[in-house]
Amino acid sequence: MEDSGLNRQDLFRLCMQNLMRRKARTVLTILGMFIGCSAIITMISLGIGMREAQERTLSELGDLTIITVRPPSGSRGSGRLDDALLRQLRELDGVAAVSPKLSLEVSSVTLSTGGGRYLAEWTNVVGVDTSAMENMGYEFLEGTPALQPGQAVIGEYFAYNFRDTTLPEEADIVDRYGGQWDDQGNQLTVPDPFFDPLGRPCTMEIETDSGRFSVNVDLVGQIKTDYSKGNETAEGMLIPMEDLLHLLARANGTSETDVVYDSILVKVSRVSRVEGVENRIKAMGYTTESMEEIRKPMERESQHQQIMLGGLGAISLLVATLGILNTMIMSISERTREIGIMKALGCPVSDIRAMFLVEAGTIGLIGGLLGCVFSLLLSAVINWIAAARSPSELLSTLLGSGNVTQVSVIPWWLLVFALAFSVLIGLGAGYYPAGKAVRIPALEAIQRP
Amino acid sequence: MNESNLRSQPVLEVKGLWKEYSAGEETVEVLRGIDLNITRGEICCIFGPSGSGKSTLLNQLAGLEKPTRGEVCIGGVPISRLDETELTNFRQRRMGFVFQSYNLLPNLTATENVALPLMFRGVPKAQRERTARELLERVGLGHRLNHFPSQMSGGQQQRVGIARAFIARPDLIFADEPTGNLDSKATLEVMNMICTFARDFHQTVILVSHDPEMASYAHRVVTLLDGQVVHDRRPRRNISPFSEYSRPITLPHISGHQEEFGMWRTQA
Repeated sequence: MEDSGLNRQDLFRLCMQNLMRRKARTVLTILGMFIGCSAIITMISLGIGMREAQERTLSELGDLTIITVRPPSGSRGSGRLDDALLRQLRELDGVAAVSPKLSLEVSSVTLSTGGGRYLAEWTNVVGVDTSAMENMGYEFLEGTPALQPGQAVIGEYFAYNFRDTTLPEEADIVDRYGGQWDDQGNQLTVPDPFFDPLGRPCTMEIETDSGRFSVNVDLVGQIKTDYSKGNETAEGMLIPMEDLLHLLARANGTSETDVVYDSILVKVSRVSRVEGVENRIKAMGYTTESMEEIRKPMERESQHQQIMLGGLGAISLLVATLGILNTMIMSISERTREIGIMKALGCPVSDIRAMFLVEAGTIGLIGGLLGCVFSLLLSAVINWIAAARSPSELLSTLLGSGNVTQVSVIPWWLLVFALAFSVLIGLGAGYYPAGKAVRIPALEAIQRP
Repeated sequence: MNESNLRSQPVLEVKGLWKEYSAGEETVEVLRGIDLNITRGEICCIFGPSGSGKSTLLNQLAGLEKPTRGEVCIGGVPISRLDETELTNFRQRRMGFVFQSYNLLPNLTATENVALPLMFRGVPKAQRERTARELLERVGLGHRLNHFPSQMSGGQQQRVGIARAFIARPDLIFADEPTGNLDSKATLEVMNMICTFARDFHQTVILVSHDPEMASYAHRVVTLLDGQVVHDRRPRRNISPFSEYSRPITLPHISGHQEEFGMWRTQA
């Protein structure tokens, strides 16, 4: 027996003929699908735009994957921040790197450079594991980590600590907040410091109750500010932990053998693992800090907003689905006799089912395609209007380039998803009517009108 | 099975066929024990007044309805036991239909309508439409190839319907009051056409009618009354299904064209 049934071109041709036969109804149903599809794409794109803006804000606040571990507070435990804990934390699942932190606690630390012309009296000097700096995610603006004894890495705004001793008292410092600001509270320009400290010979004078001494420091690198890692990334100085321990020993006249750190920074491999790692450290009895406390509620709120927006889109899509369903059911009751005739003439049942599914799927596909095109346009218009507030950024906003936040973001996967979803909805809406059509008996053909 | 065996074997066998419909409490027996054998090449008219059960019988024979009891075999296949898919397949290969109300698909042209049964078999468009056009020319509609049903007269539509019923060369053609909606001139044309095709291709035709005039076209007339066969006669002396049909053929298009229809060549 030869293979029977409609070939694909014929099936498709029949479907198109059937759709073309009721132009107004087909067009209206497609219109419904088009509106539904546009609505869901636009709503989701707004949600994505919101989330991206939020992520940008958060990343400006600091590294989201850093957990700061501090000693247990109050009566919660007696855990110490020592090398044993350091090793323990490094072994935790999801931890990428750890670094201890210890401040130089002495009566005063004075830095001088330029042959004593520039003086900085209140500098925060912190010892860290400098060999782990890159793994910890310190962002170097210039230079390298301080790996050798006597080397140091400085914070982004380190130079602003210095005053020029040759200038009168009122004008001897550069205020780094002294530049131009816009209406939204963003600093537009930062005035230049007196000098670029990197590479300059620098002397550190340490004063304690028992006396004072000086050491020379080599400034080899400069890092970007990241408050999640500590204030020293802005204005302070980071030196190898061994150096710091030596300085402390010399200042206090003791030799430290059992070191207890101020805090330990833990770098987690992914943002999504931060919460888990943080909970485990808390369970060990320590106090922790991370951006999670800010990120979580923000994320939750943005999820709520996205669900709300998506829900709005979904409602119009649901209405569109009912539209297709209605059109196909109408179509069947009109074509009952025709389907009976086709069956009597030997049209396989599977082809009758396929015909209705293809018709409904086509409505979904065309509606979805139009919806995709329209939402791209709509998204451009929304971004245009949003950008009208700052016309200088118009071009980059429309092109989606640069660091400009877009209100509506349509990634390619959203279009693919919307299109596939539209076709699926069409097929879904066609499923019941197709089943109904299949059950129409061939006897319909022979019944006299 | 050789040719002579095929010919002598009944193409359609009906054994003890009963059909009951139940409407609420009441049961109506529409067919009450029909036995019937129809030989290949026969033109058989099922004749009876309205309500005699002839349309119901046709539905059972064509497998459009399941009988309450009894069996219908076509070419030895008990069709009353086939499921919907098998039946559709069977119909596609073995049966053709001519309907009283023509039942052409309104959105297809004459050619496309005739080609439908071949389309359902997956025959490519060019090939099936060539065959359809040849057939339409044969039924005298060469000038109506691309007309839609609504643009044709009843007689023309029914000729399209006949071409459609014969195009896939089925063993059995069921014609349900094929001339019921036609005037006498169109009736003559249509019946001549059915009989000519059936004779030329040795096809079996089962004709259902309440019109005594129709009976005169048949080799055999089975008369039904109250769901039973009351009369089964062969009105002509020479009743061989392969005998020349005595009525004049009124279609000038047919002669001369025959050789061109490779697919349509009469079996020797």
